[in-house]
Amino acid sequence: MERQPERFVILDGAMGTMLQARGLRAGEISELMSLNSPGAVAEVHRAYAEAGSQVLYANTFGANRRRLAGTGHSVAEVIGQSVRIAREAAGSAAIIALDVGPLGALLEPLGTLKFEEAVSLFAEMMDAGVAAGADLVVIETMTDLQEARAALIAAKERTALPVWVTMSFEKNGRTFTGCTIPSMAHTLEGLGADAIGINCSVGPAEALSMLRELRGHTRLPLIVKPNAGLPDPLDGSYSLSPADFASAMREIAAEGAVMLGGCCGTTPAHIAALREAIGDLRPDTGSRTVPPMICTPTMPVSIDRVRIVGERVNPTGKKRFQQALLENDLDYIVDVAVQQQEAGADILDVNVGFPGVDEAEMLPRVIRAIQEAVELPLQLDSTNPQALEAGLRVYCGKASVNSVNGDRAVLDRILPIVKKYGASVVGLTLDDKGLPSTAGERVAIAERILDAALAAGIPREDVWIDCLTLTVSAQQEQARETLSAVREVTERLGLKTLLGVSNISFGLPNRPLITSAFLAQALSAGLTLPIVNPNQREIMDIIAASRVLNGEDARSEGYIARFAGVTAAPAAAPSTAGLSLEAAIVKGLRGEAARLAREALQTQGEMQVVEERLIPALDQVGTDYEQGRAYLPQLLSAAQAAQAVFEEIRRSLADKGEKRISRGKIVMATVKGDVHDIGKNIVRTVLENYGYEVTDLGRDVPAEVIARTARETGAPLVGLSALMTTTLPAMAETVALLKTLDNPPSIMVGGAVVTAEYAASIGADAYCRDARAAVAFANEAIRKG
Amino acid sequence: MLTDLDMALRCLRAGSADEALRAAVRETAEALEKKVTPRWVWRAFDLNRTADGGIGFTSAALTLTGDLAERMLGDCERAALLVCTLGAGYDALFRAWEKRDMARAVIMDACGSALTEAGCDGAEEEIRVNCSGWHLTDRFSPGYGDLPLGLQKALVRAADAERRLGVTVTETDLLVPVKTVTAVIGLSRRPQPARIRGCGYCALRESCVYRKEGSNCGASA
Repeated sequence: MERQPERFVILDGAMGTMLQARGLRAGEISELMSLNSPGAVAEVHRAYAEAGSQVLYANTFGANRRRLAGTGHSVAEVIGQSVRIAREAAGSAAIIALDVGPLGALLEPLGTLKFEEAVSLFAEMMDAGVAAGADLVVIETMTDLQEARAALIAAKERTALPVWVTMSFEKNGRTFTGCTIPSMAHTLEGLGADAIGINCSVGPAEALSMLRELRGHTRLPLIVKPNAGLPDPLDGSYSLSPADFASAMREIAAEGAVMLGGCCGTTPAHIAALREAIGDLRPDTGSRTVPPMICTPTMPVSIDRVRIVGERVNPTGKKRFQQALLENDLDYIVDVAVQQQEAGADILDVNVGFPGVDEAEMLPRVIRAIQEAVELPLQLDSTNPQALEAGLRVYCGKASVNSVNGDRAVLDRILPIVKKYGASVVGLTLDDKGLPSTAGERVAIAERILDAALAAGIPREDVWIDCLTLTVSAQQEQARETLSAVREVTERLGLKTLLGVSNISFGLPNRPLITSAFLAQALSAGLTLPIVNPNQREIMDIIAASRVLNGEDARSEGYIARFAGVTAAPAAAPSTAGLSLEAAIVKGLRGEAARLAREALQTQGEMQVVEERLIPALDQVGTDYEQGRAYLPQLLSAAQAAQAVFEEIRRSLADKGEKRISRGKIVMATVKGDVHDIGKNIVRTVLENYGYEVTDLGRDVPAEVIARTARETGAPLVGLSALMTTTLPAMAETVALLKTLDNPPSIMVGGAVVTAEYAASIGADAYCRDARAAVAFANEAIRKG
Repeated sequence: MLTDLDMALRCLRAGSADEALRAAVRETAEALEKKVTPRWVWRAFDLNRTADGGIGFTSAALTLTGDLAERMLGDCERAALLVCTLGAGYDALFRAWEKRDMARAVIMDACGSALTEAGCDGAEEEIRVNCSGWHLTDRFSPGYGDLPLGLQKALVRAADAERRLGVTVTETDLLVPVKTVTAVIGLSRRPQPARIRGCGYCALRESCVYRKEGSNCGASA
């Protein structure tokens, strides 16, 4: 599909290495050389142009607002000057690229930089690059896929220039953050990059094997710009000579890369040798096919075999889930996602649509929370375009969207968003006239959806069709129609199909049997993406068996692993007879504690179970911990068993339509500038399991946000943590701000460097050395309050 | 196994722990080592005396001042900068565990600290092998003695650790990924005495619960 260049494009080599030879010291901001020693920068560009470089990367790699802070120079000034120098040096021999490198701060959730803040830092560079007259944008040396996404989105939104993106992979084929080559390729091609590839990090020999993997996952022209081997730690020099570098690059050219250059340690001599070495070679201009795939950075999932789509992140018919959405209880939702991953789901469908929930605000929050805990790719299940756009924007990787249908208005509304963010899309075979009753009509709608997607620029393999499952007890003949449609869409249109199967058995006894039988038939008809509850054993068994029968499960290894050692009779349960609820909590047995809580709730009220059984048990572990008979992990295990008990209580209350039990509200945060929040998280876990309703603002939280939240929730207690001496001032500032509220809350503080004296000196009400002390203070402050 | 289980147990304040906890620590350490490996870079520089009496790293934008730097490097012609990290992969793993199982997460945190220290030991050994004919001083880091945390940014940049390891420094001078250590090792032509003993020089110093209570873990006694 993408046009491959007919000639190789020779890029330049290292800028930093060359500038260090002209007086730049290790660790200095090399972009400032454009202002301080423009002659030196121009000399480097000229040398590359003379060596045969057709694209010169301007000296703008780190010229972002964050890095230039404190230098007295603006982004526009440095980029303007750098592009000008390159242009003058190049004459008509080469075009000029705005070079965009990493920001020097990790994005959420790994670091604390917000996604939109990253987009805006990059946008500022893009604007300056356009104003300075750059011919193209190169985003390079990226190691975090989310940061590469932010830069690419900024480039597409702010410029009309071609955009190339290269990332740095380690020898193991992953970036520092674990991003795989297929994930990078599918995500960046989806977002509209014009060429992608590999730079920095390794030498050409290692880059070659990466290139071989990469070319199987993208149709885009490929860039390779590796280092001249490894640096010598004794003097910083690189190991590969121009001749050795060039002969390795010839092989890279022969294997499909068309844009070729060098990164750290390469010089004009390397580039001249490279140009010489590729001499008579011609680029491979054949078109490539790529497998259908969605991904997260660490988990590419190709849709070339049966993939299980977990359906449980969805409020429909689930009171507990609805309650979690209304109460902003993301932990519960994440837990539902985690359980499905552990049960064997390959993709998770995410639906947060419910009356009273602002979907456009909730969907991105839920996606971020799930992506912190679960590696699986997500399917965003919504028909709300604002929610889909907000969700796709923050989703890291390539997602799928569920769904569009044959209605022209829906297609026009949703497909441009799918295209912009490079997602796959599910098309339901119905339209504004309703749900057709024959397979033929459904296939006709599928074709219309495919045509509309192709016209919108969405590749064929990214269109999945849902042929719709109807309830067999109500419309018996429809099961056959669905199965025929699945077969025809698969065979004639060559598209992947998706189907929610459990609806088939509604209203019949022994539902799992009908559902399983239908699932088996649908898989046999060609269904690739069954949407199921992966926690249901029968369903997962059928899929495991189908994978053997269709040949996906080579040598039946997956099946054998699943069933090895399983005998007809269920294994005897471990002996926990006579265990009390209190003992189960103390020992940290989550499953047992939940079971015993259910038993207790048959005879005792919710509040009674909390006050008379759960809290005394937690107190006992707490005392053991204080006296050195139990350690922190045991204290937390008990807290988690208590959490399982609370979950039963909340379920019981949700079923009756009652609100959660709350012993009082607490706002907690790790202060601005601090990224270490394990201590705060420990305290929060324990407080929650004493029944406190904790609003956890996370880490690196500005004082204003903490104060605003305290005011809005009316919480009588705020807990703050700081781990490092450098972030203590932010704690003092937060306490001072909280004191200015009309109704100031009590404040407890803690953290490695905090002491009782320090707490008193900044006006906090209590210093809590650990979680136990926090519980004691909360009991006192909130009961009193 | 690279991880020193006793060090991990000390981080958990459970030096005399029962066998069950020790087994849990071992299991977590093994699982962690399957997923993350300490990675490091180092770079040696000549030293020079700056005009204001500091110790400069030749051809790098880095100067150390103060008592500790003077005591450690006063007798050295060269010094190596070292950065060791478990990488962002550890942070992702830890955050995922924190959401599932806080008890396991605190054990992982302790194992992560011990594994980072093991990486620093590995890096130091590599420096020793590559600098034959030189005597190494003890390893020391910003935050020890009077060496300020404010040096982190310059040290990470001079070692090129952002590009080569993905290590970043926040505006509050914290290292991200969280399990990251920076250090300096002096290189001298003369044998160097062990100068560093005790809590002031421990990498766990900032977060040590023993130290805060005025005691110590017993590791350096």
